Amino acid sequence: MTRLAAGPVFERVLTTRIVAMPAALDAARWPAGHVALRTAADEVLITPPLADARVADEHAIVLADGSFFGGWIAPALALAVLERECEWEVPHARPAFAQGMVAGLPVKLWLESERVLVLVAAPFAHDLAERFVA
Amino acid sequence: MRIIVDGTPVEFAAGDNVLGAMLRAGLRPTSGGCLCLGGDCPHCLATVDGIAYVRTCQTAARPGLIVQSFPDDGYPPLPAGSTREPAVTARNIHCDVVVIGQGAAGRAAAAAARQAGKQVVTLDASAGEEVIGIYAGPLVVARTAAGMLHAHPRVEIIVATGAAEIQPVAPGNDLAGILTARAAEALVAAGVDLGRVVAVGTPPAGIKVEQAEGELLRFEGTLRVAGVVMRDRNGSERRYACDTAVVGLGMQPRDALLRMGQGLAVRAVGDAARASDMPPCPLAGTVCACSGVTVADLESAWQRGFHELELVKRSTLAGTGTCQGMACMPHVRSFLAARGGSLQPPFTARPVTRQLTMGEASAGSHHQAVPRTALDGEHRRLGAQMDRIGGWWRPWHYGNPLREYWAVREAVSIGDVSTLGKMQVSGPDALELLERLYPTRVKSIAPGTARYVLMLNDRGYIFDDGLICCDGANRYSLTFTSGGASFAELWVRDWAESWKLDVRILNQTMALGAINVTGPLAKELLARAGLPNAPKYMQLASALVAGVQCRVHRLSFTGELSYELHHPAEHSVVLWRQLLELGKDLGIKPHGLQTLLQLRLEKGHIIVGQDSDFDSTARRVDMEWAVKLDKPEFVGRQAVVRTNKVSLDRQLTGFEMEGVAPIEGSSIHFGSEYAGYVTSSFTSPVLGKAVMLGWLRLFDGKLPDAVLIDGRSAQRVPVPFYDKAGGRARV
Repeated sequence: MTRLAAGPVFERVLTTRIVAMPAALDAARWPAGHVALRTAADEVLITPPLADARVADEHAIVLADGSFFGGWIAPALALAVLERECEWEVPHARPAFAQGMVAGLPVKLWLESERVLVLVAAPFAHDLAERFVA
Repeated sequence: MRIIVDGTPVEFAAGDNVLGAMLRAGLRPTSGGCLCLGGDCPHCLATVDGIAYVRTCQTAARPGLIVQSFPDDGYPPLPAGSTREPAVTARNIHCDVVVIGQGAAGRAAAAAARQAGKQVVTLDASAGEEVIGIYAGPLVVARTAAGMLHAHPRVEIIVATGAAEIQPVAPGNDLAGILTARAAEALVAAGVDLGRVVAVGTPPAGIKVEQAEGELLRFEGTLRVAGVVMRDRNGSERRYACDTAVVGLGMQPRDALLRMGQGLAVRAVGDAARASDMPPCPLAGTVCACSGVTVADLESAWQRGFHELELVKRSTLAGTGTCQGMACMPHVRSFLAARGGSLQPPFTARPVTRQLTMGEASAGSHHQAVPRTALDGEHRRLGAQMDRIGGWWRPWHYGNPLREYWAVREAVSIGDVSTLGKMQVSGPDALELLERLYPTRVKSIAPGTARYVLMLNDRGYIFDDGLICCDGANRYSLTFTSGGASFAELWVRDWAESWKLDVRILNQTMALGAINVTGPLAKELLARAGLPNAPKYMQLASALVAGVQCRVHRLSFTGELSYELHHPAEHSVVLWRQLLELGKDLGIKPHGLQTLLQLRLEKGHIIVGQDSDFDSTARRVDMEWAVKLDKPEFVGRQAVVRTNKVSLDRQLTGFEMEGVAPIEGSSIHFGSEYAGYVTSSFTSPVLGKAVMLGWLRLFDGKLPDAVLIDGRSAQRVPVPFYDKAGGRARV
């Protein structure tokens, strides 16, 4: 595997993590400047974290969460790595959210035209840094 | 321009492949066998640039290429020493249609697909894109000059790989100087002198030959063919002297990839879709050169009752070698048709169709990633011996397990238990869900308290254990074993969905760190860390500890006063370092998993999966107190009620013996009869004897009191072994 001298820098990503009824998450609107990753029908990760996170579900679990590692990287680098390390087809639309195994790691991707957010659970941070290289 | 063959330079011409250059020089990569020049047979293999099993007919000659012939018998030698080649990369492409082969049929299929608006990828072996397998997905894997290519077609795969010539089976077919008709044509075109040529079957085009008439009986010669013996219609033999024998015995489809893709959207076009010509039933000679299978071997298999092609393949290994049946399959089918009266379809093909290097086989793959806790760096910095346990990298010990042990028993110690499964459940039906899942009365768990619980499957067997913590109305936190956390999440979610319960579930295993503060001075340490009023036994509280917001669980797995500090994992390092600093003069030491397992054994606490088995009930592990059968419903209840009607046959039991503990897994005997085995063992420093848990059979309805373990006397004793009154743990 060829490594670039200066690879992407990954660090802990702070989010607001909300588990709630799907309908409540469907109806929720997040402030501009935040990326909301709908990781499951009943779960959303919002970064940067919200100062005041509210959803219309009194039983929702709302947490400040620092359990993900990752970072924003250039699309060219992301697509080069994905072509090599990702067996599934990455969405072509932008923006788009996708998640699945990349380089043998459970990765979450937020793909924008000008940048791509790559996330893994923090216990895989070491492997991400080792494997997600050009 | 020259290649190097067995240390000797050999001239080659532009456009030559390695085999052509060698034959022109009078050399062969192997001792003999019919050459096809189509990449189908196993007779031109050599080691090329250090890689064995390369088909030289498919390898372009280039200056300096190093070729080593295969030995006349045996396998090519493995590379000497250790070599570290650059990793082979894989490239993934997605398309609608993959067309394999770019002959006329392949080009037409690709054009038609493009015309239909499909996104098409073509792969052509002659362009260096050699497909080696089709997998579920579907996935087409090809070897290319730039590495491995993984093509993912959305619609279909079209196999247009043409047809291969049928090889001859007769005594002497392992001699040099035998060619298929197409091979002969190609070699003559490349300027190779074939000498006097005799043709068997359809002759090659454009080559002067003597046509051999009748039925092929054998090839004759020493090392190289010198004659072909035929039998005419009158039964007379005739020998045709020759320098080269050329066989034209018909064609068979190159359809291995089609047969490999059964159940997938794969179809063949052109000659790859044709039916195979059937040669006459072989009478003698080698059928499968790859595995050395003769007609006599086929006969033996038939006599032993192997009459299906798939079974004959497994019985004789015909078709399992280098060429994957391209040379032998028509003959084996013909043999079985002659014996059984019907022609059987070709056998299933499986990847790979070509020999791969380890690098090629592993391209695009990684070792399974093993998660690391937030304290992983701390453990390594402290010199821990790390190991993969329960699906995580964990510290086994920090160099002196005995010191860690005494720190827990006599002072204070901290351990990283971040790997424990951790889950939040909330919602109007949270209590209902847990009542149905667990065999305990969840309703009686008061807010701010916790309870140890077993998890039973629907057959009543224990598959995990942990805690239920009540955080308030309709809110609970659950813990699971480290190794069982992933399955436990599936289990909880699956039942919640099945029962259509209104709950929210969040797995926090990777989000929360957990540090176990344990030992008689644990309370003092927490007081120094800013928690003067730590919660009481089996209670929990939210509090700042060393400036880190924690959920403090008061429990005990070690048998000493213990607190688990659950906290956001991003603060684990700060908390860990603070605790070590604050506990310096208290004799604090971190303890690894080895020590933890020993401490808990002294208390008789089980490790699910180590002390329990796949069919362990609460009764068998002697924990019936954890199963409340007066509850009307919980997963596994009916099975527990049913199995409780059957006499107990074995039980997990405590044992003690003098001296050093026998190894885990040691057998237990009652007299001369096998009675069970040891699941956990340890020589207890505090007790000065060996303590064990193990499975023990009942004899005449009773557990024997005295047994032999590893040939030594041992006594069955009740657990716990240590602090039987529980005063230290519950202080």
